[in-house]
Amino acid sequence: MVTVTIKVNGETRTASVAPETTLLRLLRENFSLTGTKLGCDVGDCGACTVIVDGKPVNSCLMLAGQVDGRDVLTIEGLATIDRLHPIQKAFEDHASLQCGFCGPGIILSAKALIDENPAPTTQEIRDALGGNLCRCTGYTKMIEAIRVAARTLRDEVADQPA
Amino acid sequence: MEKKTTVAEKGAPLETVPEAGSMLRLPASAPLATRPIGVLVPEAGHQTPAVGQRAPRLDGRLHGLGQTKYIDDFYLPGMLYAKIKRAGIASARIISIDTKEAEAMPGVVAVVTGRDVPCNSFGPSLKDQPVLADTRVFHAGDGVAAVAAVTEQIATEALDKITVEYEPLTPVLDPLESLKLETPGLHAPNPNIYGHKVIKKGDVEKAFAESDHIFEGSYRTQMVEHVPLEPHATVATWDPNGRVTIYATLGRITLGRADVARTLGIPTSRVRIVATTVGGNFGGKNEITTEPVVALLSKKTGRPVKCTFTRAEEFASSTTRHPLIMDYKTGVTKDGRILARKIRLVLDGGAYCSWSETTLSKACILSAGPYNIENLYAEAFVVYTNKTMTGAMRGFGAPQVCFAYESHMDEIAAALNIDPLEIRLLNVFEEGSLSPTGQTLHSVVVKESLLRAARRFGWIEAQS
Repeated sequence: MVTVTIKVNGETRTASVAPETTLLRLLRENFSLTGTKLGCDVGDCGACTVIVDGKPVNSCLMLAGQVDGRDVLTIEGLATIDRLHPIQKAFEDHASLQCGFCGPGIILSAKALIDENPAPTTQEIRDALGGNLCRCTGYTKMIEAIRVAARTLRDEVADQPA
Repeated sequence: MEKKTTVAEKGAPLETVPEAGSMLRLPASAPLATRPIGVLVPEAGHQTPAVGQRAPRLDGRLHGLGQTKYIDDFYLPGMLYAKIKRAGIASARIISIDTKEAEAMPGVVAVVTGRDVPCNSFGPSLKDQPVLADTRVFHAGDGVAAVAAVTEQIATEALDKITVEYEPLTPVLDPLESLKLETPGLHAPNPNIYGHKVIKKGDVEKAFAESDHIFEGSYRTQMVEHVPLEPHATVATWDPNGRVTIYATLGRITLGRADVARTLGIPTSRVRIVATTVGGNFGGKNEITTEPVVALLSKKTGRPVKCTFTRAEEFASSTTRHPLIMDYKTGVTKDGRILARKIRLVLDGGAYCSWSETTLSKACILSAGPYNIENLYAEAFVVYTNKTMTGAMRGFGAPQVCFAYESHMDEIAAALNIDPLEIRLLNVFEEGSLSPTGQTLHSVVVKESLLRAARRFGWIEAQS
C-alpha cells in the first residue's frame, strides 16, 4: 500500500491505496468524487479528465502515487458556494450536454484551455477537446458555450480594479 | 471568557448556514423559463410557439456540476464487484467449466455459471440468448461464468483461474453463407433464417421488360457499436422478503423487468428495476444483458453486487448495428423515371435475435426510398452468424438502406447523364403518394426540402 496526500479542490486529503490504483479510482472510490467518470479506462474518451497542477490529464492513466503532493481540481471543485463557474453556466444556457456523461471531462478540458489561452479560436477549442469524446451532441453547442464562457471570463478580468 | 453562541441564538436562518467542510451545492436545477401561456393551444396547421424557443434542460445543471448519479456512481454498504468471463471463441461446445480454483481465491465470495440460472434464456422477441452460455458458445462475447469479489481487481484476477474446456466448432461468419439452406442451423432446430419479409407491388418483371435501362448495384454496410460513453452497469440487491432491486442502465425497464423475472424464475412483483440517468443509450441499452447474473450473485452472497462493463466488453458483448448486404435492381425510362425496383436485403443478425425483427421490417419498408415506384419487390432476410449480436440502433435499419438507395440513385443519374437533383425531383414522393406498404402520405415536403437544401449549399450554382 502507498500513502497519497493530495490537495483536491482546495482540501488536503490522504488515502492509503494499492500501488496500482489510478488517480481516477482514488478520486471515485476513496474520496467519493464520482463526478469524474470512467468511460474507457485506457485514455481514449476523456470522461475522466481532471486538472493536475493546471494541466488537463486523463486520470485513468495516472497512478495515484504520481499525484502525491500535487494539486487536483475535479468538476466538484469548479463552482463556488455563490455561483456556477462561467463555463458551467454557459453549458447550462446552451444545453450543451445531453446524457451528460462526458460533461465533467469536457468542462475541465475547457477550463484548462481558457486558463492558458483566454481568447481561444474555434479551432483552438476543437483542438483542446481533441481528447474528449461525446456521442450525443456533435460538439457544436459545447464549442459555442466555451466561446461565450471565455468572453465572460475576459470581461470579468477587465472589470477588476487594477 | 467569551460565551459561545449557537447558530439558533444568532438568529441565522438555518438554510444559509453552510455545513462544515462540505462541498458546495447549488440548487439542483435552473429556474423554469416562463412561457407565453395564452397562446399555447395549437391550431391545426399552425406552428406551436414552443418551436424556436429556448428552454433550459432540467438536468443540465447537475450534469455540469458533475452531480448526476449514473449507476457506476452508486455504492451500497458491503457491495461486491462482479466480473464476467467471456468465451473468446466464436463457436464451441462447452465440455466443462471448472471454477474451484477461482472460488478458493481470497476475496472471491461467489462464482456462478449458466447452470445456476433458473431459466437460461432471454430476448426481446425470440428467447434465444443464454444469460450465461452453459452448453454452447455462439459468439466470442458470450459470458460463461461470473465472479463476485470484494474488489474489482480480485474479480478480474479470478476470471483467469476459471478453466473452460471447449470443443471448437467451425464458426459461420458470412451472412450469405448462413443464408444457404444447407448451412447447419446455429440455433438448431431453428433455421438460420429467423426473420423474413416481402413487400410486393405491381408487376416487377413486366416493368423491367418495358424499361429503357436496367441498373444493378450491390451495397454493404458494416457492424457499428453504439459506444455510449457510459458502459453498461448494474447494481443488484435483495431484501429479506425475497425481492430484488436492480439499478440498471436500462432504457426499457418494464420489458427488462419481465425478462429478469423470467430468467430468475420469480414473479415480476418481486423484481424492482430502478433506471437512473443513462449515459448514452442509442438503442444499445434497450434490453437486459447481465442483470440476471448480477442478481444471482447478489442472492448467492447476500450482499449488493455491482457489475460495470469494460470498454472491451461494450464492443464484444453488447448489441451492435446490423451490417446489411443490399442488392438493388432498378428499371428506368431514358429520362430517368423509375418503373420498377427489385431489392434483396440480407441482415447479419449475429449470434442472437435481439431487435432483429423490428430492424428487418423497418429496413424492408424503407428500402425503396422516398420515391414513387409502381412496381416493387423487396425481400429481406435476417440470419444468424457467430458474431456479436446485432439489435436496436438509432433508425432500426433506416440508415443502411438509405446509403444503398441514394448511392444507387447517384449511379443511375451518372449513367444517364442526368443531374442527381433532377432525377430525385422526378421520382420523389408528393402529397398523397402511397408508401411501398400502401399508406397514403401527408405533409410531404421532399421536393421543397431538396430544393431549399440545394439552394442553401450552393448545389444549383455549382451546376451552372
